[in-house]
Amino acid sequence: MLTVEGGWRPGRAGRSGSYPRGVWIPLLLLVGLLCLGLAAWAGWRALTDRPVILRQLLTGAVIEAVLVVQVALGLAATAAGDGPADPVTYWGYLVTTLLVLPIAAVWAFTERTRWSSVVLVVASATVAFLQYRLLQVWVGL
Amino acid sequence: MSEPRVTSGAGRALVAVYGLLAVAATARSLVQVLRDLERAPLAYLLSAFAALVYVVATLALARTGPRARRVAWGAVTIEMVGVVVVGALSVLASSLFPEPTVWSTFGAGYGFVPLVLPVLGLLWLRRTSPVAAEPRR
Repeated sequence: MLTVEGGWRPGRAGRSGSYPRGVWIPLLLLVGLLCLGLAAWAGWRALTDRPVILRQLLTGAVIEAVLVVQVALGLAATAAGDGPADPVTYWGYLVTTLLVLPIAAVWAFTERTRWSSVVLVVASATVAFLQYRLLQVWVGL
Repeated sequence: MSEPRVTSGAGRALVAVYGLLAVAATARSLVQVLRDLERAPLAYLLSAFAALVYVVATLALARTGPRARRVAWGAVTIEMVGVVVVGALSVLASSLFPEPTVWSTFGAGYGFVPLVLPVLGLLWLRRTSPVAAEPRR
């Protein structure tokens, strides 16, 4: 394998190990679409001057559940010696991703104005963006 | 509606976005500085500096009082200048920054959030300044 000075490892193209593309790309897309939907929903409520409601938080909980599945699959793949090209960044992103929506949810309970909706827009967009970055980091871009 | 306060509503949302950028920039620059510093020392040290400024700005914006406000003004101004100057340099003299920083190409790598955020921060600080608003204390 090519190794550049500084511990940088280029990605492995066409990986098909214990965490195959057929599973993790659909999971990334699922989270991405759910997040964009939630962001649009919260954005609409922000524009119409309304706070976050419980049904939005339940959507967030569904997203969190899929993220936990991603963590489990990532750990399993790493244990099988088939982990991400850049593990530090990958796990950093994934752990951050897990924290973003719960923080927005706490916000929603304490801030009963439209600004909780704004925070949820930012949080959902962040999770969607971090999923995109996870995809890049796993393959080593 | 209750009266607007510095630490509620829009201000808290602004602090949330600042906090997010602070965490993202700090985590990324820690990895860059600790692991890959020799690859692009200027770019990575600048990233670390930018991250520090975001942390300071987040903490200062989250607090009230004249001292916190002065710190917030300073930090947000540094961000504004930094993103414009480094953004321009990264486009005009790209060899200076072989690796991306938070401020490269005006924060394009972070969805231009680093460019928009100091503008919002300055507007927010001006709107909530004790001179413009009701006198507090």
